[in-house]
Amino acid sequence: MLRRVLAWAMAALIGVGIGAASAWAALEFGSAGFTQSYGQWTHSRAAGSSAADPYTRAIIARDGLLALRASEALYFNLAEDENGRRLDESCIYELRGSPLAARWWSVTLYAEDNFLAENSDHAASVDASRIDPTSVWSTRVSPVRGDAPHWLSSRSAGRGFSLTLRIYNPQREFRPSAESLPTLTTISCTGRS
Amino acid sequence: MPGIGKYVWAAIAIAVITHLALIHAAPRLLMGVAIERLSAGGFNAWTIADRVTSASRQIVRPSPDFSYAACAFDLSDGPVIIAAAPWRQYWSLSLYSANSDNFFVIDDREAHYGAEITLVRAGKPHPEGASMVVESPSARGVALIRRLAPSTESYNAAAEVAREDVCESVSRLVG
Repeated sequence: MLRRVLAWAMAALIGVGIGAASAWAALEFGSAGFTQSYGQWTHSRAAGSSAADPYTRAIIARDGLLALRASEALYFNLAEDENGRRLDESCIYELRGSPLAARWWSVTLYAEDNFLAENSDHAASVDASRIDPTSVWSTRVSPVRGDAPHWLSSRSAGRGFSLTLRIYNPQREFRPSAESLPTLTTISCTGRS
Repeated sequence: MPGIGKYVWAAIAIAVITHLALIHAAPRLLMGVAIERLSAGGFNAWTIADRVTSASRQIVRPSPDFSYAACAFDLSDGPVIIAAAPWRQYWSLSLYSANSDNFFVIDDREAHYGAEITLVRAGKPHPEGASMVVESPSARGVALIRRLAPSTESYNAAAEVAREDVCESVSRLVG
């Protein structure tokens, strides 16, 4: 009798475990199907979409809860430098971009925990209202501003920080591509050859 | 091992049920957490978020360039009036259902002088005389107003404007 109860309990436990693991895997790997790369940037088409099936809806909720529709805003993420290395506070980068066919845009720096880096520099973001958006622009990404006219502070961001580009009211002709989106270049790194 | 087949089938059945239940529940659970947080001060009332700083830890990847106002709406007692006061820069009003769908959005390009909508539960009668009626697929959800405010001064001004926003049950307005 006890063996039978244990066997049923074990079957239930294994079933729940497999079900939970497969649901997690479906969201984790399904999410990749919504991701497109444009040069160094990745874009999730899930953010702000409306879903037709439960899998798509679950992925959208996980990756883009309370996000806006693509006609309203587009979100791009950059987490690696031009050599595929994770972004690092010990490095100085230059982010260079051309005018974007949109009403407004911003680039925000997030630490690996997905929150703003814990510093008091008030330089977590640059946006089209602070940079002349009609010509080629550049901003320094570094722990110290130095002589840079525009700056994103990576102080206390550690290793593995990322940049998010938000594009609001993109124009009809806006087509994301490696060429149209800003490019990140490593200037120097402390402790690297 | 004889007789093991029924346990294997039971495990497979439970795995399928668990898998489907979690996939269906995930959006509602995530939205449920958001609605619970945003309704801490009560339903059908705007909450104006503090300016996003490095100390902000409520929502991941917050934008420091926006002023946010959120209202967890509840249509159990009938329609809710939602009004967004105009703002000099970009602003938008977006509505999300309990399963996380973004079922409505309007911005300053379409509504130069602000927006006022009457939110009703899908399938319920529309109130007479309401100019813009939007049907919500769920009784509860979230309304979110974003106002572009990249500086401290503009954030303070946007927060002031946000005090004019309305999120109120029609039954309370007429009652």
